[in-house]
Amino acid sequence: MVIVAMALCAPLLAPFSPSNTPAVAAPVLGVPTSVAAPLDAGSVAIRADAIWLGDGRVVEKGTLLLSDGRIADVGTNVSVPSGTQVIELKGTITAGLIALHGYSGAPNEMVDGTRPSMPESKLRFAFDPSHYDFEDARKSGITTIVLTPPAEGVAPGITAVVKTAGGTMLSDAAHLSLVFTADGLVSNRKPTSIAGAMAMMEEMFAQPRGSVALAAEGKLPCLFETTTKPDIQRAIDFAGRHKLTGAIHGAALAGELAESIHDAKLSVIVPVIEIGKERRALVSVAELAKKDVRFGFGLDSPWNHPSELRLGAAMCVREGLDSAKAWSALTSDAARIAGVDARVGRIDRGLDADVVLWSGNPLDLGSRIVAVYVDGVRVVGGDR
Amino acid sequence: MSIDYRFGSLALSGLLAFATLARAEGKQDEKKDEPRSLVIYADHVFTGAGSNYDGGMVTTSGRKIGLVSPNRAGGDDAGKPELRCFAITPGLIDASVRITPGLVSVEQSNEVNPAMRVAESLDPYANAWDAQVSNGVTTVLVNPLDQNVIGGLGVVLKTAGPESIAARTVKADAVLRGAMGQQASQGNHAAFGRPTDFYSRRPTTRMAVEWEWRKAFYDAAASTRDATRKFSGSEQLVAALKGDLTVGIQAWATQDIRTAVFLKEEIEREEEFKNGLNKPRFFIDAAAEAWKEPQLLVRARVPVVLPPFPAAGRTRENAFMAWNTAELLRKEGIPFALSSHGLPGAESTLAMQAGYAMRGGLPFEDALAAVTLTPARLLGVADRVGTIETGKDADLCLWNGMPFEPSSRIIGVVVDGVLRVDRLAPEKNK
Repeated sequence: MVIVAMALCAPLLAPFSPSNTPAVAAPVLGVPTSVAAPLDAGSVAIRADAIWLGDGRVVEKGTLLLSDGRIADVGTNVSVPSGTQVIELKGTITAGLIALHGYSGAPNEMVDGTRPSMPESKLRFAFDPSHYDFEDARKSGITTIVLTPPAEGVAPGITAVVKTAGGTMLSDAAHLSLVFTADGLVSNRKPTSIAGAMAMMEEMFAQPRGSVALAAEGKLPCLFETTTKPDIQRAIDFAGRHKLTGAIHGAALAGELAESIHDAKLSVIVPVIEIGKERRALVSVAELAKKDVRFGFGLDSPWNHPSELRLGAAMCVREGLDSAKAWSALTSDAARIAGVDARVGRIDRGLDADVVLWSGNPLDLGSRIVAVYVDGVRVVGGDR
Repeated sequence: MSIDYRFGSLALSGLLAFATLARAEGKQDEKKDEPRSLVIYADHVFTGAGSNYDGGMVTTSGRKIGLVSPNRAGGDDAGKPELRCFAITPGLIDASVRITPGLVSVEQSNEVNPAMRVAESLDPYANAWDAQVSNGVTTVLVNPLDQNVIGGLGVVLKTAGPESIAARTVKADAVLRGAMGQQASQGNHAAFGRPTDFYSRRPTTRMAVEWEWRKAFYDAAASTRDATRKFSGSEQLVAALKGDLTVGIQAWATQDIRTAVFLKEEIEREEEFKNGLNKPRFFIDAAAEAWKEPQLLVRARVPVVLPPFPAAGRTRENAFMAWNTAELLRKEGIPFALSSHGLPGAESTLAMQAGYAMRGGLPFEDALAAVTLTPARLLGVADRVGTIETGKDADLCLWNGMPFEPSSRIIGVVVDGVLRVDRLAPEKNK
């Protein structure tokens, strides 16, 4: 039965099927060698040592049932319909990871340098869903990426939330990007100064139209692009003046202003934590958690390798970040920040079947990815 | 001489109470911005408000000055830490401190930007603030850089306090800042010979810089008669014409100083500015050559801020300024403030500028005024800072010798009632 399904659907999956398939047989115990992944979004039941639901709860020795692209059931007492393929995993299942800031699949397509303000331009039209960037992301367990315009100009565009397989669009308008960092200025186009950029932004919000109006009405969250702490202070002030919601991205030391960010009811997208990041930045992330600021991690793929998302979170745990918090920052909290928590970010009945099968504790960097499912389709691991 | 903490008659219990307080403060970092009531004894109290006391006392109450007393009566307040010093003056005020985050504060797309706020570009975490407060400067005017003809709005700030520019602001939009002379035209070029960009449009000469000023004011005046002629910044220019917003113009050399003076006189004279638009308040910053034609400044009622004294006489823009420049201005009756331009180095501090002015013949009281009350008045903040008077902001500078003497040190600085600089320990170790 399974083999028939594979034969039918193989062409559809071709763009997403890497030729090298890491040995998956060892961790996936008890699976007959002939059993490959289901290649349509049929049904599969996965029994695992642990299933992290993404809200802090863990199901030990549980079963996850995926069906028709959705999570059909999860728990210790799941009834698996007869004929369903069953996979035994000696490891942990989690929801797919969410990278909150990235440029995957859209090389040279995100900056329109001809004008500083293009608040209606949409990242959803910038990316190629079959681009190999997404394959890299999938292999690191990332199933959702928020595509963002680079922080240049004043209002460079509207973010999109896409899956890393199949080109599924979770949100075609997640945030209005607003730039508060001086790094976004160029010397040969207006504005060349922070004050000039702020004046232009004030002007935009004085007579809001289109997406700007939606942001001003609280219907469209904003992505506040920053680099320094003063940038964050300006963003908070601006958000307060115009009653904006959303998330602050970019400043590594945001945690040092956690209290003000919390009071402003804004979230934080922590910029990718590369190897060699100063300790102060890692401590700052732990500070966000202590002050109850919702946060997730950016990645800025493909400039940074997708594996750095999980690595960065693990490094923050070393500097005092609660590990459950670190995991929700990679999944459920990230989904809330991206505004797609009704679809992804947790393992719960009815949510999209975007899950990652790990060989052990996912925050342990020794743990390998055994398989990744997006919309119930196995896109990494197994024979496919 | 040194600052000395002492406690009331119950020394031991006072000490314990203080130790407990200190520990509590160490635990809760946010308390570091909380003022404690201070009692300061000084052998000499220079209030800057016309009265000096030998052997006096100043107390603070919250963020304000409490008592200013010619004697020490009532100073035995148990539990209040006492500070001792040789002399106390108001916290110093620098009306030209030039702390800006570089070219990202300059809007280069236009030569006239009256609506741009330098406050947007300032970094409250910058080390430059610590350097200022460490040198006794408690209030500063920060201006846009002078790459534009009119660069925008300067802001008056405290140099210490909460780590937020908004929280430290004494007066937002305090000064409309611009420049005469060379600097505002540097880097611009004519359109021919290379692709036209916005650097092509900008002035390349002194004459064109002046023309931009004049055009801006005439256009602003026209906007009051015809609403369709309003433009970005016209509101600020109109406020300047009405005298509601002080105009601070950089002009080093005498030819640029007279250009600024003539601009003011033209506004006061011409028909276009009647109906209340003829009351501009100007001061000239970096007026190194104000001494050359002082009668012009007297005639036009234009006060000046002097740049730091140059070691070899020549300043920027090839102006000349000697040690006796400040004393000459005093004799001519021109109000003037001294400034450091925020230069690094112990020889360039605002306190040293006052010392250099005294070396050039300026009496001590006038030197003190030039770094306290006069700049406070220029910036319109004299109701809060500039003198030691009950009810004013508790901004104080504590010295181990006569203020402004090269041999004296600033051993304590109080900003808004908080002791921000405390050099007690090094003094003790001596």
